[in-house]
Amino acid sequence: MKMKKKKKKKLSILLSAIMLISLILSGCSGQNSSGSAADSNGKVTLKFWSFWGSETRRPVIEKMIDDYNKSQDKVVVKHTFVPWGDIWTKNLAAVAAGNPADVVVTDINDVSHRAKNNQSTDLSKYFDDNMKDRFYPHLWDTVLYDGKPYAAPFNTDTRLLYYNKKAFKEAGLDPNKPPQTWKELEEYAKKLDVKKGSSYERIGFYPLWGGYGAPSWMRNADEGKNFFDGDKLSINTPAKAEALTWLADWKKRYGKKTIEKWDAEFANGQTNPFVAEKVAMYTDTGTFYTQIRDSGKELDFGVAPIPAYKEGARNWSDGGGFVLEVPKGSKHPKEAAEFIKYLTDVKAQKYWAVKNYDNVANKEAAESVAEGMKGQEKMVYSESLKNLKDTQLAPIPINYPDFMSRINPQIDAVMLGKSDAKAALKKAEADVKKIKRK
Amino acid sequence: MQQQGARENILHGIDSGTETISGKPVSLTKTKTAEKHITLAVNKTAGKPVSKLNRFKSKSFRENLIGYGFISPWLIGFFLLTAGPLLFSLVVSFSDYNITSEMTFTGLDNYKKMFTADDLFWTSLWNTVYFVLFSVPMTTAGAIFIAVLLNSKIKGMKIFRTIYYLPAVLSGVAVYFLWMQLLSPGTGLVNLVLSWVGIEGPAWLFDPNWTKPALIFMKLWSVGGGMLLYLASLQGVSTTLYEAADLDGANIFQKFFHITLPMITPIIFFDIITSTIGAFQIFQEAYVMSKDGDGGPAHSLLFYNLHMWNNAFEVFDMGYASAMAWVLFIIIMILTIFNLKFGKRWVHYEGGDNK
Amino acid sequence: MKAAAETPKFYQTMKFRRRIKNSIILFFLLAGSIALLTPLWWMISTSLKSPEEIAQFPPTFIPEKFHFSNYVEAWTTGPFTRWALNSVFLAVVGTIGSVFVNSLVAYGFAKMKFKGCNFWFIVVLSTMLLPGFVTMVPQYMLFSKLGWINTYLPLLVPSFLGSAFFIFLLRQFMMTIPNEFIEAAIMDGAGHLKIWWHIMLPLTKPALITVAIFSFNGSWNDLLGPLLYLNEESLYTIQLGLQTFKGSVQTQWNYLMAMSVMILLPTVLIFFLFQKFFIEGSNISSGTKG
Repeated sequence: MKMKKKKKKKLSILLSAIMLISLILSGCSGQNSSGSAADSNGKVTLKFWSFWGSETRRPVIEKMIDDYNKSQDKVVVKHTFVPWGDIWTKNLAAVAAGNPADVVVTDINDVSHRAKNNQSTDLSKYFDDNMKDRFYPHLWDTVLYDGKPYAAPFNTDTRLLYYNKKAFKEAGLDPNKPPQTWKELEEYAKKLDVKKGSSYERIGFYPLWGGYGAPSWMRNADEGKNFFDGDKLSINTPAKAEALTWLADWKKRYGKKTIEKWDAEFANGQTNPFVAEKVAMYTDTGTFYTQIRDSGKELDFGVAPIPAYKEGARNWSDGGGFVLEVPKGSKHPKEAAEFIKYLTDVKAQKYWAVKNYDNVANKEAAESVAEGMKGQEKMVYSESLKNLKDTQLAPIPINYPDFMSRINPQIDAVMLGKSDAKAALKKAEADVKKIKRK
Repeated sequence: MQQQGARENILHGIDSGTETISGKPVSLTKTKTAEKHITLAVNKTAGKPVSKLNRFKSKSFRENLIGYGFISPWLIGFFLLTAGPLLFSLVVSFSDYNITSEMTFTGLDNYKKMFTADDLFWTSLWNTVYFVLFSVPMTTAGAIFIAVLLNSKIKGMKIFRTIYYLPAVLSGVAVYFLWMQLLSPGTGLVNLVLSWVGIEGPAWLFDPNWTKPALIFMKLWSVGGGMLLYLASLQGVSTTLYEAADLDGANIFQKFFHITLPMITPIIFFDIITSTIGAFQIFQEAYVMSKDGDGGPAHSLLFYNLHMWNNAFEVFDMGYASAMAWVLFIIIMILTIFNLKFGKRWVHYEGGDNK
Repeated sequence: MKAAAETPKFYQTMKFRRRIKNSIILFFLLAGSIALLTPLWWMISTSLKSPEEIAQFPPTFIPEKFHFSNYVEAWTTGPFTRWALNSVFLAVVGTIGSVFVNSLVAYGFAKMKFKGCNFWFIVVLSTMLLPGFVTMVPQYMLFSKLGWINTYLPLLVPSFLGSAFFIFLLRQFMMTIPNEFIEAAIMDGAGHLKIWWHIMLPLTKPALITVAIFSFNGSWNDLLGPLLYLNEESLYTIQLGLQTFKGSVQTQWNYLMAMSVMILLPTVLIFFLFQKFFIEGSNISSGTKG
């Protein structure tokens, strides 16, 4: 009996020792800096979360932060890399627990969705009236919820049509005359196709490859009108149905097998069909240029606005971007807003734009950057700046945050030839109507 | 006859087992004398008057106490860390809750919506059931088959075991991108192999009819985890059993079905229950494989957990997501209880009917 | 077959049959190995390519030029040594806790009779049934209240408090250990703790090693836990470090794959080494042989 007790004791000591060691070890390495207290110098520590952790982006953002930290003596910004995508899950949990970062990088299209759900801070108190003049208007409008800014735009992008000039020459097309309308796009594509036997060596153009998806083409056709006209649904419109039929026709022309095969070939993102010169025309953002540049190929290409639905219609394009947000519950919203002002001011924005070859949200910075560039770099950059005036964002409608989950399967059905466009969009609209949030 | 052989063997095994143990400072008597001890013990307790006042010293109380002592780490963890969030989500399922604001009680609204208004709920449930129905039996059978092969005594088996286990440890998004390459209808290896036997492979991840089979195929690839379980349990099956069967002229299949299979039923039972739970909760594969995690093409990969995730973290409707979670809880609970009840008929515990 | 067994050259035939059997097994295993290793080959091959070659179409199966420097470069893009050590620490401590605590609890469920034993076992199982997403946020709030955010506690403490999967697994293994054995020990005056330590643990060695391997891999590959609970990059794990190669705009495939291969190595090594104990230290059958 005695021995047993001893043994038991020994064991429990062993177990608790393991526990204790692990507690101490982890305690050592984890400085619990979650509190709001200023550090020993009396400085406030601002926590900044971004997904810019790559070899190319991290040094840029960290230099900007470093400059800020040196420029004043009240605030120290501490940058933490949080992986792309997961950053928002983490942010949500941290906001829920009341222990969030002070500044976080988020997607511009759901700023108001987050604002409505009480996840971010109203910054109108900290921004003065001329703050909005810094940015492209379509970006600023998107960060407003109830007329108040809940974030500041940081960078943006816009979709362009890239075309292979060498292929144009081969096909007898003028390399300085990219297609202007959908009709021209079709004609050009047919000329650019290269077929060997029954399979394609090169595909002229397929509208669903690249950065401009089916919803974008549908809006392009419908005078730039989104799926929502304010709170009214405009999913089932004649123009959108026509666009969807047009998309399905492309697939019919190339054949289901060809498209599926090519889809799969390029799905993993390692190779790009335009860079590999398998596709002659391709839609993507301005920053896509870096991928062409880094491929090591001397690709002779041009960029143009997205072709318009009809002659005389506008060359509508799609954009996105990222914003800087102060999560709800941040202990230092005022200091955070100051830091956001710094990051969106001309100097910092210019640095970011040059170093990352990125479209920035600050208008003055964006425009001054192009001057220092040359060659293809300058061509793509200036074209994307011009394109911003026709660029629209696709902010998530706050009453229908998951509306795409009802539209996507209907688009798929049309593309698979299982449904005609009108019936599909009618069903989509009815389905979306059902999921309206209170 | 074989059963008896197994029994004998295990008893024999215990003897030698005790020998190793008695090499240590603890002394233990051999099993052969156990019976005598039991009778002795019975006499002892019978002879001792048990004081009614002192019920804290009573045997059953002590046994209960020791029992709870053993499971106490888990109990502490359950009450301190698990139970709270579990209950929280149950409460949330009856309310309108967006994670970051106060919740308002809405009664059964979320549940009503699930069964009447949300058609994607049924889509996702059907997709998930399809996946469970095919993947659980296939991965279980595959794991047993491979474990049996890997348990043979052939030179180089260590390397084979490692190779077969490898895919189970490979994780992360990289794996899924590799699969996209392998399943590509044009240059992918899978369709290339199929073409050798004259089959024209489908477009796998781009054809809504073939997306789920593609995912099941991927699951089969990483069957190494289950294989390891069976390999471990096969170590408990004595070699002399097989030798005896050999002498009887039993063939491979007879040996497998009469010796191997009965001996590993406890682990089959475990594997079926846990992989059913796992299959019902499939998420990562679909999230990565379908672009933006929307479950496409044509919602063919919209699994239950993916739909729940979208509701929780895209729509911020945590109330509804929690209600979905609890419905899934009930579905799996029913299946598990059915398994536990039904399991008594076919699971063979060599340890004796303890429970 | 039966007739063959009755001929005088019985032994030879057995040997012959065994050889045939082994050859068939070997054939199956080899074929399977090729199927299993091809995806891995893609990973290794990509890890050795230059970014330009990765962008080539159609992709090359064997790299034109082997860029072994990708491995060094990938490792030096960030504090990967630190992150790897953090991962090792978490995995080792977590595995130790997991093996001991789960086997202790499993013993309680498999071999002890106490009131409510079946009830609690059902509760154990039921903790596996609820999808983690819905408890993730409240769990985070709980750890936040305890002041455990940005420490390793949320990642380590649960390993010392048992996990349903491992408890269930070890219980299944322990149920196959004859009761006579325990009864005998009790008669000898041994307590349950002693029986657990001196009888149960040695007898369930293959199962414990399985748990060790699973739990090491689980914590080594865990992304969500460290991601949620750690706010400081010096505390990050190697899996979080791996994510730096995946960007919003571009992915550094060669580094991503090189790092994935390096992350894979310790788990493979551990499996390869543990196998030895696994087979040699097996319980009952080895006892028979010995």
